[in-house]
Amino acid sequence: MADRSILGMFQEAEPAADAMDGLARAGFEPGTFDVLTGTPYPEGAFGEYVPQHRLFRFPAFGAIIGFTTSILLTAGTQIAFPLVTGGKPILSLFAMVIIMYEMTMLSAVIATVIGIIFESRLPNMNPGAYDERITEGWIGVVISVDTTRAQEAESVLKTAGALEIKHAS
Amino acid sequence: MTMATNSAVSGHAAGDQEHASHGQEIAGHVILAPSAVKDKLVGTTEAGATRFRKWAIILTVLAAIGLLGLVLKYLQSSDDQTKWGYTAAVAAFLLTIGGGAPLVAVAPVLAKANWVRPLTRLASAFSLVGVVTMIVMIPLVAILPPLITEGARRRSIWFESPDWTPHIFIFLAMGTLLMAGLGLFYTTALPDFAAMRDHSTGRRQRWGKMLARGWVGTTVQWRTLRMRIGMFGTFYFLMLIYVHFLFTSDFAMGVVPGWRDAIFPMYHAMSSIQGGIAVTIIAAWAGRRYLGLEDYLRLDQFWSLGRLLFASSLLWIYFFFSAFIVFWYGRSMADIAWVDLFIRGPMIWAFIPAMFMSFLVPWWWLIWNRIRTSVNGPAIGAAIVLIGLLLDRIRIYVSSWAVPPDEIHDKYLKHIPGTVWPDVFDYMIIVGSIGASALIVMLAFRLVPIVSIWQTQEYQLLSKPVKYIRGHGVLVAKPD
Repeated sequence: MADRSILGMFQEAEPAADAMDGLARAGFEPGTFDVLTGTPYPEGAFGEYVPQHRLFRFPAFGAIIGFTTSILLTAGTQIAFPLVTGGKPILSLFAMVIIMYEMTMLSAVIATVIGIIFESRLPNMNPGAYDERITEGWIGVVISVDTTRAQEAESVLKTAGALEIKHAS
Repeated sequence: MTMATNSAVSGHAAGDQEHASHGQEIAGHVILAPSAVKDKLVGTTEAGATRFRKWAIILTVLAAIGLLGLVLKYLQSSDDQTKWGYTAAVAAFLLTIGGGAPLVAVAPVLAKANWVRPLTRLASAFSLVGVVTMIVMIPLVAILPPLITEGARRRSIWFESPDWTPHIFIFLAMGTLLMAGLGLFYTTALPDFAAMRDHSTGRRQRWGKMLARGWVGTTVQWRTLRMRIGMFGTFYFLMLIYVHFLFTSDFAMGVVPGWRDAIFPMYHAMSSIQGGIAVTIIAAWAGRRYLGLEDYLRLDQFWSLGRLLFASSLLWIYFFFSAFIVFWYGRSMADIAWVDLFIRGPMIWAFIPAMFMSFLVPWWWLIWNRIRTSVNGPAIGAAIVLIGLLLDRIRIYVSSWAVPPDEIHDKYLKHIPGTVWPDVFDYMIIVGSIGASALIVMLAFRLVPIVSIWQTQEYQLLSKPVKYIRGHGVLVAKPD
């Protein structure tokens, strides 16, 4: 079980990418090591492992809930209080669409906000090893390992040119 | 100070030189050191403390005056709809500029424009104005007549809905727009809250720590951030158009008998985009001037926004004329009443300057290359546009709300109401709500930098000066 977090600090992107390659070559599991940056580098720039995301499920689920509720609400009120307007049917789609659109959007937005909490893995209660210089342009390569392989991971980071190594448990 | 990125392919002499003591200029393209970017932008949240305090006090007083005016007006005129035109106009104006500005943060980003990155924070912060808009709307919604008055259903877009439908759904729609706007603002600010946590001090650091929520910049966090920006941006756009549709239907067309216009909601939404661009230019100009952000808010940003403002000013006349020509040639009694009410009638004093300041003057001003390729030129054009749009909203909403509610069931407006001038409460509400809006945006920039740190870094990461045949250009990567 991974019980240590080791962070290698780099000033340039190239050696950080070398460190990521080195960790992969050394047999560390994809997903146990990652790159920390203060700006979004293009995806795959460091050869990092990119897990499958389920981002669209939240707004889609919210939209379905809102859409269904809005149909029930508009159809329910019109059936409960039937009122013929302009000679149109009681359940007129175009009159219902206005409320349906709004409720669908409202639910989708709320679900997206909720989704941020889950999918962004925030709040991050145990961020592991971290360095404040990451938000001023440095690049961190962080790995979660058990104590037995900590030395090996640190060695890979140093070989790639890490300027500093930090530990956290 | 030499400006850089206007020379996309320029004849600048090659060579490196120190720029502004914290960056390098290569062939006219300024490259700023990441640590210098962080120091400068984090510093903007503390810069000019004395001036900020002075303005904060002034704007807080104005906001209090506005709130007092709103309460007093409600106590005095809650039973007279015709007295609320100016309040409706200022709510529409706030929706116009505050609602439109975040689109500047959304649309060019979705189109992968690199120039917009330093502006997205500024533009998205205007979604906070939605809070003030909703407060101003509270008495308006209370005064808006129910769907069924005197036993008859009045004309509205709520064909078969229960009595108080518009009152509920206009608020829900505004709330959804506000939520999408705040979501956009917060999502884009998340990495900068982490920067505030790491590099600020005192209260700002504590706020940064709380709002960053453990952001460290992992691959997953960046990936979800990008997706969220896209999602909130899309939701925001979809809701903004819808809110304009509801607002114009309930607060303008719904209270004027015989006014049926399919183009008006789009005209309103389009002029909101114009207003959003204008207010972003003004805010960028102020940030550049008073916070010393010449290396961040560069000529490139003003030039690009100036072109968009020019295009949106042309669209103003296109949409206005498309609606106008139908009423002008329609010649039915309802059409004649529309022209009398909104164009040549009681609010002609607002219509003529609105036409000049929303279209003619900015069009003639921004048509010149030398004006657009400057910092002050687009800012002057934007200031003119904002005044024009305020007058335009006064023309529309004061005229609409001047119609007595007992005429709401008529087929067309038979008596054109006289000119309505603002009373003291209207002045209080106008000044107060604009002051409150400015205050709320200013306060946001004490918590998070006015220019996004991470997007400035990204802007630099993705653009690189290169030699191009015998000139030089800037190579921009678009990896997504």
